[in-house]
Amino acid sequence: MGEPNAVPRPEFEAPPPEPNAVPRQEPVGAGWPAPGAEHGIEARTVVRSFGAVPALRGLDLTVPYGQVTALVGPNGAGKTTLLLILATLLAPHAGQVRVAGFDLATHPEQARSALGWMPDTFGVYDQLTVGEYLEFFADAYRLPHDEKHRRIRGLLALVHLDDRLRQPVHGLSRGQKQRLGMARALIHKPRVLLLDEPASGLDPRSRVELRDLLRSLAADGVAVLVSSHILSELEEIADRVVLVDHGLTVGEHRMADLIASGPTGMGRARWRIRAQDDALAARLAARPGLGTISDLPGGAEVGPLTEDEAADLLAALVAEGVRVVAFGPVGSALESAYMAMTDERR
Amino acid sequence: MSTHGIVLVARQEIRTRLRTGRWQILLAVWFGLVNGLALLFRISLESGSGSNVGWGSEAAVIMFGAVLMSVLVLTLMITPALSATTINGDRERGTLATLQVTRLTGAEIALGKLVASWGTGLVILGLALPSVFLPVIEGAITMGRFVVVVVVTGLLIGIVCALSQGWSALVARSITSMLLSYLTVFGLLVGTPIAFVLALPLTSQPAGDDHLSYRKDHPEYVWWLLAPNPLVVLADAAPTLPEPDERADEPDDPLGDIGRSVRDSRDPEFTGDDEKTLANAVWPYGLAFDLALASGAVWLSARRLRAPAHTLPKGIRVA
Repeated sequence: MGEPNAVPRPEFEAPPPEPNAVPRQEPVGAGWPAPGAEHGIEARTVVRSFGAVPALRGLDLTVPYGQVTALVGPNGAGKTTLLLILATLLAPHAGQVRVAGFDLATHPEQARSALGWMPDTFGVYDQLTVGEYLEFFADAYRLPHDEKHRRIRGLLALVHLDDRLRQPVHGLSRGQKQRLGMARALIHKPRVLLLDEPASGLDPRSRVELRDLLRSLAADGVAVLVSSHILSELEEIADRVVLVDHGLTVGEHRMADLIASGPTGMGRARWRIRAQDDALAARLAARPGLGTISDLPGGAEVGPLTEDEAADLLAALVAEGVRVVAFGPVGSALESAYMAMTDERR
Repeated sequence: MSTHGIVLVARQEIRTRLRTGRWQILLAVWFGLVNGLALLFRISLESGSGSNVGWGSEAAVIMFGAVLMSVLVLTLMITPALSATTINGDRERGTLATLQVTRLTGAEIALGKLVASWGTGLVILGLALPSVFLPVIEGAITMGRFVVVVVVTGLLIGIVCALSQGWSALVARSITSMLLSYLTVFGLLVGTPIAFVLALPLTSQPAGDDHLSYRKDHPEYVWWLLAPNPLVVLADAAPTLPEPDERADEPDDPLGDIGRSVRDSRDPEFTGDDEKTLANAVWPYGLAFDLALASGAVWLSARRLRAPAHTLPKGIRVA
């Protein structure tokens, strides 16, 4: 990866082919690949507005098979609109979208057979039992009868609801309903999986399980696209990150590159210092150029600083005889990249 | 579009609806109320003082007509509750989008929902039929008349189901579609005769010679305003009663009376005897008009359910 410090920051009028941008999975403008190509989702210059309000303004997205791609952006960036378009519910005003090799404008039915979708909020048929609920969707996807029940049992075991087969759906907790929705999205063995805030409402254990599930699906070759605000979690799940803002793609990164470049690789980060020194905050306040200093129990936070500035500060503190216990960046690589992206708006 | 999809959606609709539990009680109450009232009506017909309804057969004919029309009106009042929220209600609950991303097409979802609500409407009609069937057992009403009248009533219920579903596809909020559906039923039942009565004076033209001039209404210009009325369609479509013996004049038959009067308004000069012929019938026009409206509503709801959606009505959230 050439320049880890170069955050792609296009001006918000044209979709970027920037020479110094982080390399994409495929070169922009390489032409439209044949159906059944190597990517689960390919979206090019997608435009959609609601009335006079533009939601997507020429967004590009590639989701390869066998990887988890995270879709990250502030509220109102167009993430949900994009997912609705990818889920074949909403037609874009312009641009081309292929899911599993099928053009959504001409072959939405074929795309649906290959596509699993888990919306952020969804209703369930409260009166049905868990088994009936999944059976209905298995029928709606036209699963063969003998395969249906095997598939339902397998999925319920996967999302840890196998003891609930005959229980009514309305008796499930929020997290259990979320897991049931996950099973529904997977009922027809989709090759492309779209998830909008899948972790909301899940307890810590379920989140870990969701992470493992998505990883194993990707390992099986499924193209997974996850939209979420929980950046620390995405960092553990995702292979790639697509940053969107104002209806445009502002950056596509491989997670490995982001992490390798460190939390400051994408800019400056805040640093947390713990020291056996009651007057640490006052001591820091005496130094210029440390940004905002906040006093914490047993330590302080400074920044934003680059890695060089942070190293200088640590050396200086040690030289002064401060007994530093811990000195590290706050947040994560992804968080820093996100902050750097959203910095522009303020 | 396939029957598999339609049946699947219809079964799902009915299953989720029946499980809410109160339906069984409501249907039982409906059964008891309608049939009980019908029998009471019959008893009061036969034993009321000053009643000129002497013989049982005539009471049976009156009972048949009056009860059937009441059942039609009551069922049409219930029908919007069956189908006026099926689409936007699912949208509000967030269950529609998960359906649309499956292999089910918009037409399958629309028709499946219509089959479910129409089927429920027919069950409601069926529960009211025992008391209507009584005159048939007594021999006062022929089986043919009974079948025609029940089929037409069933069709009219389906028409109102389709119209209500159309509203629920068209507007975002279920309370609005419910209101519009009731207004539609009201318009068909009450609005059409009001329109006819208001329009009638506008048709008046001078008649007679110069010396004895007066103005005469011409209902034959505006009879079609009455045609879409479900009661008119039902009454006019009912086959005529067999001619009673010579001594009796017109049999006292509510359905026949309405049928005769609308035919009169269509063709006041019609000189045939009371025999109904298709030549001056009103119901084919009314039923055709209502069916066309209903087909339009079904087409619209199927179109609105089609994904990907290009335009969204105001206030609708896809998912």
